[in-house]
Amino acid sequence: MLALHQLIPIPLKNRLSKKESAVWNKTILFKKGEWIKITAPSGTGKTTFTNILYALRTDYEGSILLDEQNIKQLSSQALSDIRQEKMSIIFQDLKLFPQLTARENIELNRVLQKPYCDAKQIENMASDLGISGILDQAAGTCSYGEQQRICIIRALVQPFEWLIMDEPFSHLDQANKKIAANLISAACKARNAGLMITDLDDDNLFNYSRILYL
Amino acid sequence: MDKSLHIILQKLIRNSAGRTRFILATTGLSVALFLLLMAVQIQANFHALLNSKNNQDSIANFLVINKVLTDANIGKTTLDDSMVNTIRSQKFTEAVGMLTTSRFKASIESKSNRFPFYTDIAFESAPSEFIDVANKEWNWNEQSPYIPIIIPNMFLDFYNFQFALSQDLPQLTPAIVKMIIFKITVYGPKGAIAMDGKIVGFSDRISSMLVPTEFMQWGNKHFATDSIQNASRLIIKTKDPGNPLLTNFLKENNLTTDADKTRFSKYRKVVDVVVAISGITGVLLLVFALLIFTLFIQLTITSCKEEISLLIILGISPNQLSTFLMRQFFPSNYWIVSIALLMVTICQFFAHHVLAYQQIFLPKFISAYTLGVALFLILLLWAVNKRTIKQFMYPDNLQQS
Repeated sequence: MLALHQLIPIPLKNRLSKKESAVWNKTILFKKGEWIKITAPSGTGKTTFTNILYALRTDYEGSILLDEQNIKQLSSQALSDIRQEKMSIIFQDLKLFPQLTARENIELNRVLQKPYCDAKQIENMASDLGISGILDQAAGTCSYGEQQRICIIRALVQPFEWLIMDEPFSHLDQANKKIAANLISAACKARNAGLMITDLDDDNLFNYSRILYL
Repeated sequence: MDKSLHIILQKLIRNSAGRTRFILATTGLSVALFLLLMAVQIQANFHALLNSKNNQDSIANFLVINKVLTDANIGKTTLDDSMVNTIRSQKFTEAVGMLTTSRFKASIESKSNRFPFYTDIAFESAPSEFIDVANKEWNWNEQSPYIPIIIPNMFLDFYNFQFALSQDLPQLTPAIVKMIIFKITVYGPKGAIAMDGKIVGFSDRISSMLVPTEFMQWGNKHFATDSIQNASRLIIKTKDPGNPLLTNFLKENNLTTDADKTRFSKYRKVVDVVVAISGITGVLLLVFALLIFTLFIQLTITSCKEEISLLIILGISPNQLSTFLMRQFFPSNYWIVSIALLMVTICQFFAHHVLAYQQIFLPKFISAYTLGVALFLILLLWAVNKRTIKQFMYPDNLQQS
């Protein structure tokens, strides 16, 4: 269970309190396994929202409870446990290690905890997404689209209960978007996990249980 | 930690704080640890020299003490009870025995014409536990066929290498001397009594002719010409005759003993100074080396700040990160201690062989104390590494991106 209580980022407080939102300053409960789409135009706090959910930012009012634990009050160890076991993320700005190869970037997330899947899965997913050829290339030398696909695979090789995605397909063509969405759907179903995706527009890539306007 | 995770982390967090700094820190730490361990080993060697069976000098542990004879105290050299008690209460004193002097006239003469001699003598007696000659003949009563006597080794040496040669007399081995029966005459107010005497042993410890206490009591009771007096000499048992406290005490109280026996005291002071210099230099160097090492760890972590930040964002736990960083930094410390210990072991091995030629027997291997200190230093370095990593791994700017 993921619960948001009167959440509002302090730097955006003035601006956001003037407009209507289905998320900010509201109390919302997300049940385990729910697939949620958060739609909003640019500059309305989508990345801020995902960063707050992933406990990267603490400059907000209100609270977020994950399984009844306030994520703002977690110790470093407890937070790392959540990031290893309960929450996986695809960042809009990717956050890859440019000096590591694509494979090492993905492998890092696989072995950070007891591996959820074997290393062969990396090959399979890379093949599905058409990036087998760049797996042993330094991530920093790959195109943005390739890096985005590396990030998608990286997020899917670890265990999770929630997959948070911040505009994950912004640099993918329609065909790759579809393949990536299928991979993500399969991974979430296999784990009975929920997903939360932020994007600019509506789409029908996933079978959403809720669509919220930020 | 997963091997593949370790390899990836190694690629991300390199010891990029500079090779020169690392060499400087390693060299400083090696020298510091070597000096410290050497100081401990030298001290352990000195204790071994004093206490081991090979080196134990039975003379050195027993000291005969008397007043320094000066113009001022001629005839007043007895040690009063308070002085005896003061000596007894000193830390370096393990036991005190009074030396009783004969208060009667006596003479010894040869019964054989082959080496005729006659001389007046005086006896001394000491409690049995202070006598270094274990002999079942060492007892006397009025029915005993002879008086057992222990003489200083140097008396026999004097006879064999000076007197016998100059007088054209035969030299005598200790075994032959022990077979000779002498005539002892004791003189008292009521006349003289002649008895047989036999040398039953040779001592290096007390430089006088020793007779059993029972004979001394009997002689003093029946033949003494004056009243009982306090002893002028006493013998003490001490663990460490080289103890500077002992030499200082003797000097302050105008007492003296065989200077040769306290010769270790001078060496001891030299050793103490060497150990102190080596130890203090070692500790100072250790502190500086630890500072450099701490700085080195800090610089490495700071130079990989972005990588560590991203690793934390991706979910690396504090334990994983600290375990990895410990594996990066601590093994070099472990090797430095091991190498310093090996160097000390080699020095000890050589010292053992070189000094053995001079009849100074050092242990072949380093002492348990040195090993203990090395172990303590490993633990100290481990703690310093752990603390530094903990301190810098999560600086405020790394904790949240």
